[in-house]
Amino acid sequence: MTALAPYVEYARKAFAREATYRIELLAEIGSLALRVYLLRALWTALYTHNVAPMGLPLHSMITYATVAMLMSLVLEVDGTRVIREKLREGGIAVDLMKPIVVPFAYFSDGVGQTLVHALAILPSLLISLMLVRIDVPPAATLVVFFFSFALGYGVNFFVNFLLNGIAFWTLETFGLQLIVRWISDLLSGQILPLAFFPGWLGRAVFALPFAAIYSTPLLVFIGIIPPRQWATALAIQGAWLAATAAASYLLWRAAARRIVVQGG
Amino acid sequence: MAKSAGVPLIVTRELRKVFRSAKRSPGPLGALRGLFAPVYEDRVAVAGVSMEIERGELVGYIGPNGAGKSTTIKMLTGILVPSGGELAVAGIVPHRKRRENARNIGVVFGQRTQLYWDLPLVDSFELLRAIYGIPADRYRRSLDAFVELLEMGDFLRTPVRQLSLGQRMRGDFAAAMLHEPPILYLDEPTIGLDVVAKEAIRTFVERVNREQGTTVILTTHDLADVERLCRRIVLIDRGRIIFDGPIDRIKNEYGRERTLVVRFTEPTSAPAIPGARLEASDGITARFVFDRASQRADRLVREVSERYSVEDIAIEEPELEGIIRHIYTQGYTGEVRSA
Repeated sequence: MTALAPYVEYARKAFAREATYRIELLAEIGSLALRVYLLRALWTALYTHNVAPMGLPLHSMITYATVAMLMSLVLEVDGTRVIREKLREGGIAVDLMKPIVVPFAYFSDGVGQTLVHALAILPSLLISLMLVRIDVPPAATLVVFFFSFALGYGVNFFVNFLLNGIAFWTLETFGLQLIVRWISDLLSGQILPLAFFPGWLGRAVFALPFAAIYSTPLLVFIGIIPPRQWATALAIQGAWLAATAAASYLLWRAAARRIVVQGG
Repeated sequence: MAKSAGVPLIVTRELRKVFRSAKRSPGPLGALRGLFAPVYEDRVAVAGVSMEIERGELVGYIGPNGAGKSTTIKMLTGILVPSGGELAVAGIVPHRKRRENARNIGVVFGQRTQLYWDLPLVDSFELLRAIYGIPADRYRRSLDAFVELLEMGDFLRTPVRQLSLGQRMRGDFAAAMLHEPPILYLDEPTIGLDVVAKEAIRTFVERVNREQGTTVILTTHDLADVERLCRRIVLIDRGRIIFDGPIDRIKNEYGRERTLVVRFTEPTSAPAIPGARLEASDGITARFVFDRASQRADRLVREVSERYSVEDIAIEEPELEGIIRHIYTQGYTGEVRSA
């Protein structure tokens, strides 16, 4: 376990560091209840003028949107932001002069950040769940949901890692970041269930890694993916996790050979 | 660690680094052209550097901006891959075994910190303890020693962003040395520090070199650092070593000239002494330059006091700074290495 000790420490330090940004955390907690409430109002209004699309009843839709929002609070903590900053400011040089596997250290840093936010939202999570009633699935489904969520967390990290990794070549990825973030939000099922996409697009979105981030755990949660399909769904997520991790590894290897540290 | 005692700790042979970058075309369409038909430009940063550094040496690695100093250091730390040549640090080729090499080195950048900005100073040390797997008792012992030596007791629990530059640099030095590496690379470690803080840092470097036998490579523009700490300097310009040897030698070669500064009691126009060249004069004070090998200072002093009414006389020794400035602007003409 001593091999893991540095990375556990990276996560702990990220946790401590993130916890010093108190105002940011408070704002996040405060806005959560409001956002959950607005989502319910929005979907309720949309449903009053339309028949339930895809046969998805309103309470399922509200559950979906609320859980997606809660997930986003954890997933949008961009643990890979640190890569972008370190590349821009040259801090990556200092990290490379340490006997560590740098991407793993950054991943650990991201996990530490995520934990802070996850803990910070707990109290307002409870308030939100009192404001908006969601369908709570059986315990077995919840367990599978959290497992699926963890896989989605991994896929999300590596997709972001790949995206930030482009900075090794361009040193500036902000514009690209915005575009991909927007596409990713849309195609991952965070904003809308992927079943709402029409025709070929509807089929295509399920074949992209983004679906493994939000859509799969959410569909498990609201029961669209029934127990007999759980294994397949998780296997597909696992495959995406392996694929994005492998791609990240290759990108890191290529990047490490051509690192141009800013300055000097 | 090197296996045999006979091999120098750090060896480079014809080490080269060429950076290739996309050339930017001017004009509004330039960026677009660069995207579709990039034109590359090669810049030679290090053009064949060969040097050997023995265990326990304290070497000043100096040169003008853009000479290739930092690039060399980055190759020695394993974060840049050389374009050619060979290098070995404690028997390891750094970029092939970056992590193994990292255990042998400590690095301090004056312009960059490795400390966690938002956390108390001691948190960064705890992370390093985990990274290097330093046993708890040894960590305690080194930390106590550094806290005393660098007088960090007052701010060990202060967030780094609230520290003064001098305090932060002391923290960075402790961070670089916590795992007791045999090699320490210092890149502009005293930049921006006040005289007291500079002195504290220099004393620290001197002590770790003397007491722990740490091999130090010091890159700096502050030649007072070098003069105070190093016996040997390696001078690099345009990617090549132009001098490698004791500071005394470069001082002897370039320091043959002395300056005789004379202050007269009354305004004296165009003063002159045989055997010395008038460098500057404002009427009251005159500066004469002479070659100490061919002229005796006492004769010149006698000569000037006989001819003029003199209030004060001083002889100035050349400073390393002046010599190096001369070499940067005029080029170096002597031998690169002593035989």
